Amino acid sequence: MTSDFLNAHHRHLRDADYLFSALHLANADHLYGMAAECGLKRLMVAFGMTLESDGTPKGKDKAHVDKVWTRYETYRSGHVQGVQYGLPPSNPFDDWKAEQRYAQEQSFDHARVEPHRTAAHAVHALMKNAERAGLV
Amino acid sequence: MTTFDNILPKVAEIFRLHIAVIKRVAPVYVNRDLNSRVRLIVAEQWEQDLQARTALDAIAQAMFEQLGAHAFPPSQAVLFEANIESVKHGSFAAPLLDLEHVWVIDRLAIEGNWATISPISTGVPRIVFFSIKGGVGRSTAMAAAAWSLAQSGKRVLVLDLDLESPGLSSSLLPKDRRPTYGITDWLAEDLVNNGDAVLEYMIATSTLSHDGDIYVVPAHGVNPGEYVSKLGRAWMPKVAADGRRESWTQRLQRLLNTLEEKLKPDVILIDSRAGIDEIASACVTDLGATLVLLFAIDGEQTWSGYRILFQHWRTTDVVREIRERLQLVGAVVPELGGAEYFSALREGAWTLFSEELYDEVAPGQVASDGVWSFDESEEGAPHSPWSIRWHRSFAALRAIHTRLDGIDAQEVTNIFGDLIAGITRTVETEDAQDD
Repeated sequence: MTSDFLNAHHRHLRDADYLFSALHLANADHLYGMAAECGLKRLMVAFGMTLESDGTPKGKDKAHVDKVWTRYETYRSGHVQGVQYGLPPSNPFDDWKAEQRYAQEQSFDHARVEPHRTAAHAVHALMKNAERAGLV
Repeated sequence: MTTFDNILPKVAEIFRLHIAVIKRVAPVYVNRDLNSRVRLIVAEQWEQDLQARTALDAIAQAMFEQLGAHAFPPSQAVLFEANIESVKHGSFAAPLLDLEHVWVIDRLAIEGNWATISPISTGVPRIVFFSIKGGVGRSTAMAAAAWSLAQSGKRVLVLDLDLESPGLSSSLLPKDRRPTYGITDWLAEDLVNNGDAVLEYMIATSTLSHDGDIYVVPAHGVNPGEYVSKLGRAWMPKVAADGRRESWTQRLQRLLNTLEEKLKPDVILIDSRAGIDEIASACVTDLGATLVLLFAIDGEQTWSGYRILFQHWRTTDVVREIRERLQLVGAVVPELGGAEYFSALREGAWTLFSEELYDEVAPGQVASDGVWSFDESEEGAPHSPWSIRWHRSFAALRAIHTRLDGIDAQEVTNIFGDLIAGITRTVETEDAQDD
C-alpha cells in the first residue's frame, strides 16, 4: 500500500475524536499523535520534503510526531508560503511517544490528552487552509 | 481563453444559469487559491443531497469547461465544509458582483489585501501620509506638520513605517539623537517575545520644537545592523502557545497601541510606504487611521494608480468604510503657473473621486442627506487638494532638522499652510468629540 498522508490524517483525527468522546482516552491519545504526524508530513511535502518511491519519508523525517513537530519547522522556514503555516513554538507532543501504545490505560487522563487533541486540531486547521490555498 | 480577470465574471455567469440551486445551498464561497484556480465551498449537508449534488456537479462541469487553466477537475471542484461559517475566519470575503450570499475568498501570497478596513481608532487621531508614487515630498511634509503641531503645543508621535525605504528619522533627528533600535527591531524581537527589551530604546525626541514634543520612532536604530535580515521577518505572523495566530499587522497595531499608551501623544503621524505595497496596505487600512492623506501630482500615473485602489475598494464592497477618511494632497504645486496647475489637479481628482468614490447624483438633482457627493469646486471636499507649494529650499532636502531648526514660521505656513490647517482641523475636531 502506498502512503496517503492527507487521507490518513483525516481518518486518524476522525477516529481519535470518536474515541475521545467515548472516553477511550488512551487510544484517542495515540491517534491524535498519528493524526498530527500525518498532517504535518503532508504539509512538509508541500514545503519541499522528498519521499521514497513508496511515498514514505526519508532519513530523519521517518519519525513520529514527537520529533516531526520540530522537523516540520525546518521545512516550513524554507518555503515562502510557510510564513502562514506556523505552529506554537513549544512542542505539545514532547510527552507523547508511539511506544505508549503499550502503556497501561490508567496512565491516560484528560489533562494528558487534551493538549494533544488541541494540537492535532491545530494541524487540521492548517491542513484546511493549505487545501483552500491550493498547496495540498 | 480564460485569464485572471475573466474568472469571476464567468463564475457569476454560470451561477446565474443555476441560480435556484445557488440560493438553496447558500452561502456559497468561491475559493480562488494561490495559483488562481477556483473551487466552491458549500455546507457539508449538501454532499448527501442528490438534487443539490447533481446541480453542483453541473456547475463544476461548466466551470471546468469555461475557466480553462483556472479550473479544477469537476470531481475536485467542490469542497464540503462541516462548519461553513469557519470558512470566513481569517480571510476576507467579498461579494461576487450582485449575487446574494455568494462570496469570493481570495487566497493571496501576502497578507495585505487592502480590503480589511479597521474601524477608526478610539484613541488619539492617527494620520497616515500615503502616496501612490514615491518622491513627492511626503516625508518632508510630515516633518513640517509634526513641527507645526508641536509648535502649537501638541505632543506628536511620528512613526516611520516606510520600512523598505527608511529615512524619516535621519531627516528628523541629528545622528546623536537617534535611538538604538527601530520598528523593524521590535517586529523581529516580538516574534520571540522579546519586544519589551527594545521598546524603551526605539523612541527619540526631536529638538525641532520648543513648545510641544515630537517623539520619533524610526524604522531602524542609529546602526541599522542586519536590517535586510530583520526586515525579511517583519511580515511574520506570530503563533502563541495556545495556537492563537496574530498577523504581522495585528502585531504592528499592538506596538502602536503600546506606544500610544506609553507616550500619551495628542496625535500620531504615520509615514507609509508608497504604492500598492504590503506595508502601505497595513498603514492605510489596518491601523485605524482617522485620516489618510493621498499625496498626488497631476498626471496619468497618479490617477491610474489611485483608480486601481479605489476600484478594489468598490469591488470588495468596503468603499463606504474608507472613503470618508481620505483627503487628497497636492504634493508639489509649482511656483510658476500654480493656479492653473492646481485647477487641473482638482479636476483630475474630482473625475477620479466622482467616478469611483462619490455616490451618484442624477443630473439636475441636488445631493441630499445620506448621499455622499461633492461638486468639483466645493472647498473642503475630499478631492479638493490641500496644496503644498514647491519651494527650492525644501526640495531634495537631506536633513529637515537642519532646515526647520530656527526656521521662520511664516515660511512654513507659506509652503505647508494648507496641509497644516487641514491636519489641525482634524486633530481639533477629534479633541472636541472627546471632550
